[in-house]
Amino acid sequence: MIASPLTLDPVFSIGPAPITEPVLVTWAIMIGLGGFAFLVTRRLKLVPSKAQTVLETVVGAVDDQIRDTMQTEPARYRALIGTIFLYVLIANWSSLAPGVEPPTAHLETDAALALIVLGATIVFGIGTRGLGGYLKTFAEPTWVMIPLNVVEQITRTFSLIVRLFGNVMSGVFVVGIVLTLAGLLTPIPLMALDLLTGAVQAYIFAVLATVFIGAAVGESHEIALEPSEQKRKQP
Amino acid sequence: MKIDWWTLGLQTVNVLVLVWILSRFLFRPVTAIIAERQASAARLLDDARAARDAALVEKAKIDEEAARQAAARTVALTSAAAEAATEKTALLAAARIEAEQKRVAAETEFFLARQSETAATADRASLLAVDIASKLLDRLPPEARVVGFIEGMASQLGALPPSTRHDLATSGEEARLKAPRALTDEELKACGAAFSRAIGRPVIFAVEIDPGLIAGLEFETRHALVRNSFRFDLDRIATELTRHDHARQ
Repeated sequence: MIASPLTLDPVFSIGPAPITEPVLVTWAIMIGLGGFAFLVTRRLKLVPSKAQTVLETVVGAVDDQIRDTMQTEPARYRALIGTIFLYVLIANWSSLAPGVEPPTAHLETDAALALIVLGATIVFGIGTRGLGGYLKTFAEPTWVMIPLNVVEQITRTFSLIVRLFGNVMSGVFVVGIVLTLAGLLTPIPLMALDLLTGAVQAYIFAVLATVFIGAAVGESHEIALEPSEQKRKQP
Repeated sequence: MKIDWWTLGLQTVNVLVLVWILSRFLFRPVTAIIAERQASAARLLDDARAARDAALVEKAKIDEEAARQAAARTVALTSAAAEAATEKTALLAAARIEAEQKRVAAETEFFLARQSETAATADRASLLAVDIASKLLDRLPPEARVVGFIEGMASQLGALPPSTRHDLATSGEEARLKAPRALTDEELKACGAAFSRAIGRPVIFAVEIDPGLIAGLEFETRHALVRNSFRFDLDRIATELTRHDHARQ
């Protein structure tokens, strides 16, 4: 990747809509993930296979993360948080495929994810607290904080975009530069580092999304804990 | 820097569609199977708990039955021991009684045998004495078997109570005079004279020979029996000896 990461060239167009590479890679990820999920979940059993065990481990980890962060039952947020984590992880790791540029290395994909998180924050906040209750959260702890809280909503969304974009884009960019300057196998350590960075960034993005939604939902989610969950949380 | 809004919009839609796809085909089925497994585990635990409770109840019943059987066994053992003790006591008592009876029977049998032996011995002694006396008397004159006893017989008749003597004199009954051999005329006269003198009136008698007397005379009437013979003396001696033996035992 030696072209500017801030520009996108359409691969082809569907009517007025130009289809760029991140969109194509995302469709490929959607097909792969959806197909894998469909194939594996067709034959779920009480005694799990290896693939089912992997899926259950991932889902369980997502549930635990939501439960630990939001202190609430994870069912309502599982699909969004889990999908964001899996998509960002696979998108970051897609750079391992030759000639594939990660969609997350472009601002549009990161902005789309951040906008979804922002929208989810607002939807879940209003859904839990009501419109008035949600708006009141901007006046906490005092009304003086309203401008700062509004700015915080925007800036933390931008921080999500920039953090993910910067980390993934820089990794891909560095690998491209090293590959241009050095031999064929030289960037392998950097690619391995990109794997770690990509996993960490996926985790960070998912956790931050959970934190933002949890903050919007507020303390009222405590009542949503099931008795079994409350018992589990006791030391 | 230029934002491709088409890409931004398409990516937003893509991610939302992916959320729906994964929710439909991944998270929902997986969470459902996890919940089903948890429910199954809970059912298994409940079943195991119920089975354990049932087993505990069954164990309690078995323990109770074992205790009941142990108590019944103790009662049965006690009863058997008491019954055995009673039976033993009864057997011992019966054995003692039987032994006592056998001992008494043996003693009686021994006593009777001894008596019989003594009597036989006495009989043999009597026979021996009679035999000895007979053989000794055979060496004396025949008169010695009678003559020497006439006066003794008269003395004994004279010693009878007066009423007896009176009956002898007045009844008119013929008396029997036993002798070891036939009496001569002189001996008959001497007997009549002596007896008449002793009783005080004439006495009528008939002579009856009885060799068993060995020597001597025996005078018999319906009211009196007077013996003055060796057989009588020997019988009396044997009786005395036997009685003396019994007293000594």
